[in-house]
This record gives sequence, structure tokens and C-alpha cells, in this order.
Amino acid sequence: MVFSARLSVDNSASMEERLVGTLRVAVDVGGTFTDICVMDESDGTVRVAKVPSTPDPIDGVIEGVGHAGVDFKDVALFSHGTTVATNALITRKLPRSAMVTTRGFRDVIEIGRGTKDDLWDAYKDVAPPYIRRRDRLEVSERVDYSGNVLKELDEGDVRRAAAILRKREVEAIAVCFVNSYANPDHEIRAKEILEEELPGLAISASSQILPEIFEHERFSTTVANAVLSPLVSGYVERLGARLTAEGYGGDALLLHSGGGVMTPKLASKYAVRLAASGIAAGAIAARHVAVTCGFENAIGLDMGGTSTDISLVWQGRERVTRDWFVEYGYPIRFPSIEVLTIGAGGGSLAWTDPAGALRNGPQSAGADPGPACYGRGNTEPTNTDANVVLGRLGEELIGGAMSLDRRLAEEAVERLGERVDLERVEAARAILRVANANMADAVRLISIRRGYDPRDFALVVFGGAGALHGAALAEELAIPTVIVPPNPGITSALGCLLVDIRHDFAIMHLADAGTANAQAVEEEFQRLDIEARERLESEGVPPEQITLERLIDMRYVGQWRSLSVSVDNPLDLEAAVDLFHNEHEREYNYRRDDAGVEIYQLNVRAIGIAPKPEFKRHAISGDEPVPEAMRSVHFDEADEAVQTPVYERGELPAGATIVGPAIIDQLDATTVVPPGWSAEVDEWLNLRMSKTEVAR
Amino acid sequence: MSRSEGRAYTLDPVTFEVLKNAYVNTVDQMAEQILRTCHSFVIYARDFSSALCDLQGDTIMQGTQDIAVHVGTLHYTAKAVLDAFEGDINPGDVFAINDPYLGGTHFNDVRIIRPIFVGDEVIAYAQSNGHWADVGGSVPGSFDVNAKEHFAEGLRIPPVRLWDGGKYLDDVVRMISSNSRAPSDIEGDLHAQAEATRIAEQEILRLVEKYGKDTITTGFTEVQDYVERLTRQRIAELPDGTWETEDYIDYDPAIGEGLVPIRVKMTIEGDQVMYDLSGSHPAVGTFLNAGFGSAFSGIVAGTKTFFPDVPLNSGFYRAIKVDLGPEGTVVNATWPTAVTGFCSGPYEKIMNSIFELWSNVMPERAIACSFNLEYLLVGGRDTRRPESPYFMWYDWMVGGWGGRNGRDGSNATAPIFGVGLAVQPLEGQERLSPVITTEHTIRADSGGPGEFRGGCGVEKGAILTEAEQTVMSYCCDRARSIAWGIEGGLPSLPHGVWLTRKDGDPDFLGAVFSNVDVAEGDRFTRPSAGGGGFGDPLDRDPNSVLEDVADEYVSIERALIDYGVVVELVDGDLAEYTLDLDGTERERARIRAARVGWLEEDAESVAERYRAGTLDVLDLVRHYGVILDWGSGDLLPKTTKTFREMLVRRAVPHW
Repeated sequence: MVFSARLSVDNSASMEERLVGTLRVAVDVGGTFTDICVMDESDGTVRVAKVPSTPDPIDGVIEGVGHAGVDFKDVALFSHGTTVATNALITRKLPRSAMVTTRGFRDVIEIGRGTKDDLWDAYKDVAPPYIRRRDRLEVSERVDYSGNVLKELDEGDVRRAAAILRKREVEAIAVCFVNSYANPDHEIRAKEILEEELPGLAISASSQILPEIFEHERFSTTVANAVLSPLVSGYVERLGARLTAEGYGGDALLLHSGGGVMTPKLASKYAVRLAASGIAAGAIAARHVAVTCGFENAIGLDMGGTSTDISLVWQGRERVTRDWFVEYGYPIRFPSIEVLTIGAGGGSLAWTDPAGALRNGPQSAGADPGPACYGRGNTEPTNTDANVVLGRLGEELIGGAMSLDRRLAEEAVERLGERVDLERVEAARAILRVANANMADAVRLISIRRGYDPRDFALVVFGGAGALHGAALAEELAIPTVIVPPNPGITSALGCLLVDIRHDFAIMHLADAGTANAQAVEEEFQRLDIEARERLESEGVPPEQITLERLIDMRYVGQWRSLSVSVDNPLDLEAAVDLFHNEHEREYNYRRDDAGVEIYQLNVRAIGIAPKPEFKRHAISGDEPVPEAMRSVHFDEADEAVQTPVYERGELPAGATIVGPAIIDQLDATTVVPPGWSAEVDEWLNLRMSKTEVAR
Repeated sequence: MSRSEGRAYTLDPVTFEVLKNAYVNTVDQMAEQILRTCHSFVIYARDFSSALCDLQGDTIMQGTQDIAVHVGTLHYTAKAVLDAFEGDINPGDVFAINDPYLGGTHFNDVRIIRPIFVGDEVIAYAQSNGHWADVGGSVPGSFDVNAKEHFAEGLRIPPVRLWDGGKYLDDVVRMISSNSRAPSDIEGDLHAQAEATRIAEQEILRLVEKYGKDTITTGFTEVQDYVERLTRQRIAELPDGTWETEDYIDYDPAIGEGLVPIRVKMTIEGDQVMYDLSGSHPAVGTFLNAGFGSAFSGIVAGTKTFFPDVPLNSGFYRAIKVDLGPEGTVVNATWPTAVTGFCSGPYEKIMNSIFELWSNVMPERAIACSFNLEYLLVGGRDTRRPESPYFMWYDWMVGGWGGRNGRDGSNATAPIFGVGLAVQPLEGQERLSPVITTEHTIRADSGGPGEFRGGCGVEKGAILTEAEQTVMSYCCDRARSIAWGIEGGLPSLPHGVWLTRKDGDPDFLGAVFSNVDVAEGDRFTRPSAGGGGFGDPLDRDPNSVLEDVADEYVSIERALIDYGVVVELVDGDLAEYTLDLDGTERERARIRAARVGWLEEDAESVAERYRAGTLDVLDLVRHYGVILDWGSGDLLPKTTKTFREMLVRRAVPHW
């Protein structure tokens, strides 16, 4: 029995008669490429494809799936990560939208917290709000902190606002009232009136989108949801229609920022949940690869041309945050997989500042003109150029579809070297050491800083450039194992392939954990449980596949930030408080057993578990791998260049072991195995690298 | 330019770059820790800083997200601790200090300092500085506007030991916390800060293990040299010269009305920049005075704004030479003069003056005056709950920043004193205090007019509900020394609180007052100023004025008065307006011909027209340069004279 049958648009009996295929298809649409990952459930085999992204991303999706040799009629499950929402927010290609709010508070989203991203540059501004001031209309109403009505809703005001917005032809409205988390009645009534006056418009009420305290964060999330919803619903409708026309019989499942998928119906309603869809995919893939290989703890490093996304997996789960935004100043308070993006990629430029320090990034040569060795006019050295100079990267990319000009790389690196008194090879090494150190600092910020020791982790490297830097970075951080998945360039798409339906529910519950009525807390949880089950069932998830996880956000009395800890069902409050002390100590290095602990918020994570077939395991072969070629490569571990065997990744059978130094080439990536390291191909065809002298 | 020129570096370029970034990473890790574990809501609003200091106490690196107002003071407090405990600093020790007379800022800013030992040799000090919510004194929050001496302001902590060889000194901590209205929060913050310094210790020890102690300590010196070099090189590329300006505190109650000058002279000579503040006024009879540490901080923070990408450490300070002038002035106050209000008093006057001076040197980064930091405190008994607990509604606002060269100032932004200082959510405030916010909105016409107008300030109104024994205090300035424009731009509007008693009329309380009794049903409101304008407002593109009118950043009336732009309403429902360009040309010609004369009109007759209601406060400030007591309407003749001279200096030459 397949999950998709229950997730189809139409749950009628006729659907059961539909012949369902055996293919799971995941498509990850990025800014430059659309990646496709296909798994055949009948035998666990995987195939991949990569096509350029198209102006209408759906064209790329359809084309890419065709490119992978898939007939939509054979597709059992189609899942999708998309940057449609993220890009719309960044480029501000948004429909005209309006806000209806409490009189006196239309500027809450413009005032925000008043802070700037750049503390020192008086010419760097925070972006303007998503809705212009003239389109934020005020109505009379007010409730207080405990939900008492101080001023009744003036329904006439709401109808007048509706008349104005009709004339302005807005496409979406955010309804955001002060203290609506404590009493949503006015907001809901205003929304009803607006729906009545303006049928068909996308209307988001803050108490329904994110019922929690703090007006700016709630309004900001709601506004982002409102401005995205016409766009996202249009997108999922068009996508659904195209998929149906191509012969797919189910729902397209959309990856949301929290790392689960949702159906098109809910994506339209909670459009803002897609705002980090594209970034989440890579982190999920890293987790999947690590867990498959038997590692519960891992750091994912997705290194592309201009930036690197770093994520952390702890005890088999991605770290999730609620402090994030697409643009500074406009928080989106839905849980999102925590990904740290830094400006370090293959195309990052190396440069010297006026005081003579050797710097690396964040400026990038991008894809065009790209590194000096692309020969498209950039003459400044990039990380890619340094890799070419050192021989770690060959002179051909994408199986010969693109050639790199070694001479141009050398010239660029030499010029930089003159400025820091280093000859060419040393300058190239220096460039990469700085780049690796910057990445290592970023990894430290999300690992050591939070009490995680990288030595307990595996490093999963992917993206076009990850495998080039993986071993050096692991060395820097004392990480014992590096995993390079079979298709580093499309690993993100893999993240969309095997995901569960997931929703997050939260309720404010301020109470002293020492004196709280555990029964009352348990009852609140049960209410959330009911809501969570209803939501999943409305998406067609059968009861036996539903899992509900409970978390409590707690803090020491007087603290401003809270810490989320998992709790049992039914609730054992005492154990939860113990766990809080422990987690606080792990995360922040200290505990205060004698201090009061406060409950802040209750959360339920609702998961509709999709049964996941196993990936095909490949038989371990005893064949000795044979190098395709030899080339001269400079490593950090040896002063002189070393004659190094170059292997073709596709030719390496499961079980093959390669002792460094070695280079392993494949279509979309190059793996460096330095001297003192070895690489082993496992039964899923991952490359696992480790230091030879370290006992495993 | 080659690295080998000038001062020699011994580290190779890669190790140097790696260590430099690692030091930055270390202090930023400290910041992360503080933010997530602090108790003081002031710290949580980002009023904190972190530093790594060397054996002399000099700053090796300061956090990239630190509040501006602490910049340039952490080395002073490190040095004070080193002096006090010379020869007696041991592994496991942790120290505290908040003394503004030893280079600290104000008593709330308590610095926790931990020596970092390799074996039995100390190699560095980690310092975490945070604004504690209350350190005693005569008023809650330790901000007594009327304090003349420090004894009313709060507990003065000279260098003291908190941990002795790893042993927590309960008695000392009790001594400190017992002097606070929030002892438990103080202890929480103390732990949070002490742990932040431990994070730094761990990081530095990790680096020592990897690179060796000598490399790390060499790095400490070389990153300071590097920053000094970088700064000096930038300065050397600029023209030599001397520039002077002055800004003002509203008045000194010990003397009476009359603006209190802070004079700043800047000289660039070769690769050195020198500041001379010696012409500044004697210390005032309120707490709006600065000790040497905070005055230096204002200079550093003002300068750093023009070098946003240069890392902060003592190398930067070495390129800056400062003469604060004689002791006892408003910028060089000594014990026991009250100094807690330095942040609303001299601090931003120094920063804005420096912005103006550098605007001459780097016109591409020019910026007019920004609004003044302000805090409103309402404290008393909350009778919503049977036990009537103590409450403290401690509120600060965003405001407008100065107009810029080619760009309007930014609206509704945190004060230049600390761009990370986040406003508090009113929903949180309403849970904690019996104060209901009635509006929190951008104030139309608050941006100083200019070709590029100042950013808009905001207006926040509130009503006191169920409360008893409640008083209100306000720490601000610029009710009279109003945020000014440059290059022909005009000022914003006066700061100050308006209080309307239940069944009474609005009463102007001014921009600095303390312990005013308030009762249930009383309403109060205050604006924050916008920024001053940049350039002649009559040169502003009429279409920009039109857009401002559509968004109500500028009213249709003041578009005419301040910009000479005739805007007509087409359809209010569509927010549609149109320009009368011929009318605009005529109106602009009329203003151009008359405006210099307005500044020379008899001030008393202008005040009379204000009292009669034919002119309003913005007309007086922007067109006549006349400053009144805004409540009574009484003319302030000395203040007006100086304010008019200021306009003649900053605006008239550019018209």
C-alpha cells in the first residue's frame, strides 16, 4: 500500500482503483538548476537529472522529470522543494496587498524592533515592509492582554476598509489586531466581514496564522503569509494542473521550511511556510545520508558557487529554529530548519586589504563571469582557481562539457601572491586555508558554541564544491568521518524525496513549572493533539501513520529566551524540568538548580509518517579500483607536488577502498582524498573518508 | 601596498587571517551566549558588549554586534582591574567593575572580567559588559535625572573579585545584589556574563593548543597593529585639515535657560586624526554628564561610523588622539558628579558632531543629526493583582536618522547610541505593567525637511490603568536643541512628554524630569524626533514629496509650508494625489525670497503668534528659529539666539 493513494486530490473510492506506479519523484528547484531525484520503490534504485531552471519554474520541473526518463503515469509520489516563495520576497515581486489593523498600530511592521542588520554602516538600510504604509488601514477595536474587550470592533470601519481595498484592487489582506493571541474574536469577525465584502481574496488573520504573543513577530509572519498566498496558491494550482495533465494522479507534496511536506491545500493557506523550502532540502538530505550511514550526529556542508549552507543533525534530527527571516527586520516565526549560510563558495574571491591581510569572500565571481579559469573576463583568483593551480581540480568540468583554463588560474593566483610575498603554489594553498578556516569558524558557531563537539559528528559534504574541501575541513575541526553522497550536485533533491507530512502547533502557556497544575498543562496538550490530528487527517493521513511529539519551551524565571525540550505523553512535568536543567547546561555551559523554571509555550509537532522503502544496497565487490589517469597535485600534507591517481567515481564498486592521495572525479563534483586519508565506497555508494591513522 | 612595509608582521598571512577571524568569532560567541541566557531586558535589547583584552588591558577584539556606547571603554575597565590586582591575579579568578570614573560608562553597565591562563601564565582577559536592570540608587532602574552626585545613582563597584581561584564569593555577590531592586536578576546576569567569558577562555585555549601559545599572543599584538595600519592608511588618503562644530544640551538647571555647548574640533594630519573637546561647557546640574570613558566612546563610535568595515580594537584607538580638555566639564566629569545620563546628554552630541565633521571629509557618507536617545520610566504598584506587586514600565523608542547625501534618512530606527537597541513589544509590556499603549505610530512631518529629508520619528501614547503610588521619569534631551539639518536642511521637532490628567488638559513636562506623580486614568504621549534634513528642502523632487504625502510621512499642509510643493488630493480612497507644478514654482520662489528674513523677525512677536495659534511649533523651529517653553509658550531668548545662529551656520549658506 502506498502513501500517495491516500494523499490524492480526490479520496473517493475510484482512486483505489487507480493503478499506482512505483516511482517517487523529488524535484528541487533552485535559482540556477532544477534537480531531479527519482527512486524506484520496487527495487530501491535511484536515478538523477539536472536541468537549467526556467523563467516559469514549472517548465523546468516537467522538462527535468522527462529528462530523468520518467513517465508521470508511473509516479506514485511527487514531492517538491521550491524557492518560489523565497524569491518573491527577495525580489519583491508581490501582489498588491493590504493590512487591516487596530487603530494606532499600522506602523508596527515598519517600526519592528527598530534595529539594523549592519550596526555601523549608516548607509545600509533595512528593507521597507512588504506592504506600503498607504495600504495599511486602521479600524477601531481593542482587547487587553488578558483578552478583555476594551473597545468593541467597529464593523462599519471594516466595511469601509473593504470598500477602499476593493477600489485599490488588492489581492491579499493581512488582518492583524493587538493582543489577538489572547482573544481572536475581533480578528475573526473582521476577516469574516472582509471575506463577505471581497469574496475570493486571500485573507490571513494573525490569530489563525500564528497565535502567539509579540505583535511585531506575529504581524510580520502574517503579512509575509498574506503577500505570498496568492502567489503560492497560483503556483500550486498551475503545478497541480500540469502534473495532472502529464498523467500524475496524486497531490504534489510541498516541502516547507520546517522540514516536512504539506499538501497544496494547506500550502495555499500557510504560504509563508514555504519561505525556506529550498534551503531545508539540503539539510534533510544531509540528515538522511548520515543516518543511513549509521551516524546520528552530523554536520551538513552544502558548498556551491557563491555560498555554503551549513546545517546540524543531532540524534537523528535537524536543528530547528524560530528566529529567522528572509530579509532582516521581517521575522517569520514558524519553525524552520536551522541553516547557517556564509559567503564562501567555489567562486569566492581571494583579495588583500589595504593593510595587507589576505581575505577570502564574501564577494564572489558568481557563475558569470565566474572564476578566472572560466576565461570570461574575471582576473581575480577564486577558490576554484586555487584548486586548479594545486591540481586538485582538473581542467575539465561536467565530463568535459566545460573546460578550465589553467594558465588564467595561475596568473590570477600569482598576482595575488605577489601582494603577500608568496609564490604561486603557496599562494593557492594560502587562499584555500583561509577559505577553510572561515568555513570551520562557521561550523564552530553552530556546533561547539551550542555545546556540540564536532568530534562526535560526521561531515556530510555536497554541492558542487563540498567534496573538494571536505577532508581539509574535517582535519581543521577534528571530525573523524567525511561522507560524500553518490551525487553531490543533486543531493538537495534527495532531501525532498523521503519526507513526512509535518505541521507545528503551539500555544502560549505562561506558568511557574514548580507550581504549575500539571493536569492543566496536560489538557492544553490534549487540545493541541486534537487540532494536530484533525489537520493531518484532513490531509488524508491515516490514523496509524500519525505521530505527535510534544515539546515545552522553558526558561529560568527572568530569562528572555526559552529553550525547547521534548517531553513525554502523558506529561511528566518534573522530568521535563530536570531535562531543561540538563539541556541548559549542555547548550549554555551552566545550570541554576536553585532558580525557578518557567513554562513559556507548549508545542506539538504533528507528523504523518510516510513509509520509506530502503535504498538499493549494492553488492560489495572485491574488485580493485583502477585509476583513469595520474596527475600532479599539491596537498597541504606534502611540500612537493605528488603524482596522484585520478579515479572515475562511476567506476568505483561498492566495497572499493582508495588510499590517499587520490582524486575522485564525477560529473558534478570532485573529491579530494589527501595523503593520510582513505576513502571507502559503501553499499549505498557513498564515499566515506577517514584518516588512515585514526582507529575506527 | 606590501605587508612588508612599515611595522613588521611575524605571522604568515594565512595564520594571521585565521587568527584574526578566530578572535572575532570568539567575541561573537560570547555575544550569542549572553543573548540567550541574560535576565535583564536591557541586555536582551542588546545593551551589552564583549571583548578580549591583552596583558596591558588593551582590546584585542570587540564584538561585531556590540552596542556603540560601550565601544572604546572596555580597555579602560580592563586596565583598572589589572592595576587594582597587579601581582594577585590567579587561575579561576573572576572580577567585576562598573566604575564610570575609571573609564566605565554608567553604573548599570557592569563588566565581568576573567583572566585566561595557560598553565600558570595569564595570556589574556575576557570581558563581558552588560546593562543590569537596576543597581540601586534613588529611583528604579537607577536613572535619577536630578541626581547631582553618584550616591543617588546607584552602587559603584570598583574592581572586585567575584570568584577567587574558582571559589564563588557569595558574600561579595550578596553585597552587590543586596543593593539592587532586582537581586535575583542581577545574579542571573552575573552568571550569564561569567559563562560568556568562559566561552572565550575555552576558545582561546583551543587556539593555543593548535597553534602554540606564542603564536596566539603574537596574534594578539598583530591584530591590533593591523587595525591601526588599516585605519591610518585610510586616514592618510584623506585631505589634511581642521574642522569645527558644536552641538548643545538643552540647558543647565543650575544656570537657567540657554543651550549648553559641546565643542568638537577635528584635525586630520597625515595618518592621524585628533579631536579637541576642550571648549565644552562645565558639568551640568543634572545627570547629563559624561566621564572620560564615555566621552572617548562617543568619539570612537562617531569615527567608526565612517569606517564601518574596520574591526574594533585598540589599534583603532591608537590612530585617534583625543584631548577632552580640563576636568569638570560636561564631557570630562569626575567623581562624584552624576554621569548616568551621559547617553542622553553629551554622548550623542559628540557622535552627531563627529558625523557632521566627517560629512565634510567624506561627503559620500554625509549624514545630518539623528534623534536623541530617550527613556520613559513609569513605576509603582500594579493593583491588577491582589498583592499589588511593584512594576516598572521602562520604555524607549525608535526615531528618525539624519538625511543623507542622495538618500532620505531612515525612519523609525534605534538610536545611534546603539543600533541594536530593540524596542519592546507592547503586548509583553501590557502583561507586565498596568499601562496600555494607545498608539505607536510613525509621526507625520517629524522628518527634518531637506532635499533628502530626515527619517521620521514615532509617537507613542499610553494610559495608566490599575495602579497606585506611581511616578514617571523621563531621560531625554533636545526639547530645545532640536535635531538639526546640514547643507541647508531643516530641523525636526522637539522632544518632550505631554501628560493629560484624567479630566485635565495636556501639560508639557519637557524632555528631562523625574518622579512626577501619575494616577489611574492619566494619559501621556511623546514623540521621538525625526532626523535633520540634508540639503535645501526647496530642491527636493516634488514627486518624492508627492509619494511622502500618499504614505502620510508628510502632510499635505507641510508639503506646502516646508517644501513649497503644492499637492492636491484626487481620490482619498485610492491614496491618489497630484502635483500643481506651476503653483509649486511660485510657492518656492516666495519662500526663497522671504526665509532669511524670518530668522531675523522679532522673536517675541513670533512667540506671540504661536500663543495665538497662527504659527505652530514646526513653523517656529524650522522657519523662525524660535525656541519656547512649549508648554507655557514663553520665549527662551538666549536659547533662541544660539539656535538662530546655528541655523544661520548650518542652513543659510546653502540656500
